[in-house]
Amino acid sequence: MKRFFAVLSLALFIFLWVPFAFSEVKNPDTYIYLAIGEADTLDPHYAYDTASGEVINFVYENLIAYKGESVTEFVPRLATEVPTVENGLVRDEGKTYVFPIRKGVKFHNGNELTPEDVEYSFERGILFDPYAGPMWMLIEALFGYETLEDFVQDKIGVAWSEMVDEEGNLKSEEYRQKLIDFYTTYIDPAIEVEGDTVVFRLTRPFAPFLSILAQNASWSAILDKETCVALGLWDGQADGWWKYHNWKKEKSPLYEKAIGTGPFKLLEWDRTQQKVTLVRNEEYWGEKPKLAKVIIWGVDEWSTRRSMLEAGDADQIYTPLQYLDQVKGLPGVVIREGSRLTITALHFNWSVAKDSKYLGSGKLDGEGIPPDFFSDVHVRKAFSYAFDYDTFIEQVLKGYGHRIPSVIPRGLLGFNENLPMYPFDLEKAKEEFQKAWNGEVWEKGFKLTLLYNTGNEARQTACEMLKEHIESLNPKFKIEVQGVQWPTYLDAYRQGQLPAFIIGWLADYPDPHNFIFTYYHSNGVYGTTQGEAFRKFAQENLDALIEKAIEETDPAKRQALYEEIQKIAYENALGIPLYQPEEVYAMRSWVKGWAFNPMRPGEANYDGIWKEE
Amino acid sequence: MIFYILRRLLFLPVTLFGISLLLFLMIGLLGPYQRLATFINSPERLKGVDVDKLVELYGLNDPLIVQYGRWLKNVLQGNLGWSYVGKEPVLSAILKRFPYTLELALFAAIPIIFLGTSLGVLAALHHNKPLDHGLRIFAVVGWSFPDFVFGLFVLMLFYGTLGWFPPGNLSVWAEEIVKSPYFRSFTGMLTLDALLNGRFDVFLDALRHLAGPVLTLTYVEFAFLLRITRSSMLEVLRKEYVRTARAKGLDERVVIHKHAKRNALIPVATVSGQTIIGLLAGTVIVETIFNRTGLGSFIALAATQLDYASIMGGTLFFGLILVIGNLCVDLSYAFIDPRVRLE
Repeated sequence: MKRFFAVLSLALFIFLWVPFAFSEVKNPDTYIYLAIGEADTLDPHYAYDTASGEVINFVYENLIAYKGESVTEFVPRLATEVPTVENGLVRDEGKTYVFPIRKGVKFHNGNELTPEDVEYSFERGILFDPYAGPMWMLIEALFGYETLEDFVQDKIGVAWSEMVDEEGNLKSEEYRQKLIDFYTTYIDPAIEVEGDTVVFRLTRPFAPFLSILAQNASWSAILDKETCVALGLWDGQADGWWKYHNWKKEKSPLYEKAIGTGPFKLLEWDRTQQKVTLVRNEEYWGEKPKLAKVIIWGVDEWSTRRSMLEAGDADQIYTPLQYLDQVKGLPGVVIREGSRLTITALHFNWSVAKDSKYLGSGKLDGEGIPPDFFSDVHVRKAFSYAFDYDTFIEQVLKGYGHRIPSVIPRGLLGFNENLPMYPFDLEKAKEEFQKAWNGEVWEKGFKLTLLYNTGNEARQTACEMLKEHIESLNPKFKIEVQGVQWPTYLDAYRQGQLPAFIIGWLADYPDPHNFIFTYYHSNGVYGTTQGEAFRKFAQENLDALIEKAIEETDPAKRQALYEEIQKIAYENALGIPLYQPEEVYAMRSWVKGWAFNPMRPGEANYDGIWKEE
Repeated sequence: MIFYILRRLLFLPVTLFGISLLLFLMIGLLGPYQRLATFINSPERLKGVDVDKLVELYGLNDPLIVQYGRWLKNVLQGNLGWSYVGKEPVLSAILKRFPYTLELALFAAIPIIFLGTSLGVLAALHHNKPLDHGLRIFAVVGWSFPDFVFGLFVLMLFYGTLGWFPPGNLSVWAEEIVKSPYFRSFTGMLTLDALLNGRFDVFLDALRHLAGPVLTLTYVEFAFLLRITRSSMLEVLRKEYVRTARAKGLDERVVIHKHAKRNALIPVATVSGQTIIGLLAGTVIVETIFNRTGLGSFIALAATQLDYASIMGGTLFFGLILVIGNLCVDLSYAFIDPRVRLE
């Protein structure tokens, strides 16, 4: 019996023994970041979410990278120089870019980087162009089209689905030569190897081109041609390229494999645990990372993440703003801040689909709104005056946010905090409502539904605040606040049923065009959801200006153009730009060298960090 | 007996077919654009996308019966489809997660059944005395505790404060060993594999990570078993044969353990079986709080993201477990109770 207890207590000792040492850095060579969710795919030409980008960002490299915290300055990466007009590598008034390619760089499998790899990487991406993928950015920059299929249809004159079936086979042999010619005439000459350099030829100047190529943009990552061909990706031939277009996500062998030149190698992506493990690339050409291992781990439950940070088993955790108070002041934990290029705005639909269930009676009788309710500028102005911007940022965002004059976030060209903004002024809101619809709105009242995308408490509160203030103006005004799940939103989006909705946008690349086009162009993602009447307005007043601004290469002139667009948006109260949130990053105080870049997918610069008490 | 088993198994495909059809029709109530959310999961992805083309690519606009037929045809060929949540084929996603769920269920079942039955018997023997009341209150508190509350409490106390039972499957160092080429995976259950590989340290680490979830599940699940055992025991204690046994002058321990308890445990067997089956279907909350790999959180995630291949695959798998599990429970009757003949 005595021996039994001896064994038992020994077992208990081992079992319960935990290295309780707060002065000591846990796992000194390993960085553990707890995220929510996990990567979507590791194919750089399919990945379009920050979780995938975070992994791709450190395994692959781009031609150039952002310099430190800047989003406008670049440093060379796999190119040896950043093209500028001054060094003669940007030519033809911004239509030609030349990149000298670095020598002596090795991919993780030992293959040497060549200029052909660069050409192949971009061409493969453009030809692949999966639906709902990110490749539209390069296709727009290089050719001025939104999708490869649009491009092909415009040049050949036949719809893609008429020529190629779902398996990628030609429906008729007559199209073979046409598609080959399409590649050799348009795609191949656009990106070409010339000696030790790779030359990009754009059809028109495109100001954000370098941003689209810079590090943190997974779609511009450089792949190894030999590896890709061996894995069964596009073989680099003109004949048959269409077989490699628009694969489903799971069909790409790069889905779970990643062989780049980056500072870290992909060791494993354990999808049962939502866990990615990266290890240091000992043969890296540049400065080697100090961390030997990085673990990016999806831990969806907040309390679990917080406990692990507190215990030191995690070095950094994803922290939504509403939980900030729970980690602030924890011993050994520090909070860092950063402002990403993202905004949240409320937008109006000027001509809602008539069958929308969000219109109530569909008439201006106090029990609903007519489908074109928001086409009256006075209604939109009244709404803009009725939002208490400052209180919202102070109380709801706890000060972690900024007011913005339009949809351009601070930090980007075109932003100017001195542009006119609607103040919170209920008297003015009342005046505007009295003018709206020739006084009918004030007299008869209305009932409408404000919608927001669920999962975001701040947006819900914004809707509720707006409701409070507007309803206080007139007892005949009734507003319902409704959260919609993403699937429902998507459906209503497609059908044009949403009368007014709050939704955000995260920059694809750090340029005002990305925001201005999205919200104010008649073909923008949100432009199209604001109804036919809005699109007509945009075509007459905004589209030409937006096109002009993107082709302009002089930053001062671009600034002026974007300010002009924003003034039109203000005068017509095109939407309510609500806020640009500030983000918080909770980590152990032993994390050293952590730096922020607004365009970085993911939350840490693993190649620069080390751990030290 | 053999015929009985065969007959039950013959019904299996019919049951599964019914479940799958019903579920598919339910998913079908959502419009094609709503189900597109599986493929376009953020507004940024809408750029440059013709949503109608995507709907067509994934066949979301076809008549429901055509979509079901397509799914069924694939299933009959052994292809359950691609899981967008698991990010691999559905079958492999399920099979990789099942050992974790099975391991947790087995470890949790031991204390649940042991505590449930022994405390149940104890309560019955002290009928209406303070011990009985105390146990019942203790059990009812556990029974009515939402698992997410108690789970968080366990996490905070035993991990946050005491640092004993960390969340996850394994520690970083132990996972390195398990993922190394020298470590062979026999069953997918970490504790068992660790022992088979002779790694006692990994075994202990896996146990440490199991402790929190097991503790939580035990406290919230054992109460039901305790109550069943208690009432069944009380009933048996009033039976004539118990009185006869006592009248014969048998030792009280023999009366209770041999005559009463054995008979009282027959209904308990059913409930225990069902508890284990329930645990095998995954425990969403406990898996989430303790960040463990498992089927429950997988299917829950699939449901929120409308990943119908995973939902259907997962449901078929649960259906399979349920039918086979219940069959096992029925068969166990024949062994526990000689009066039961399965014809």
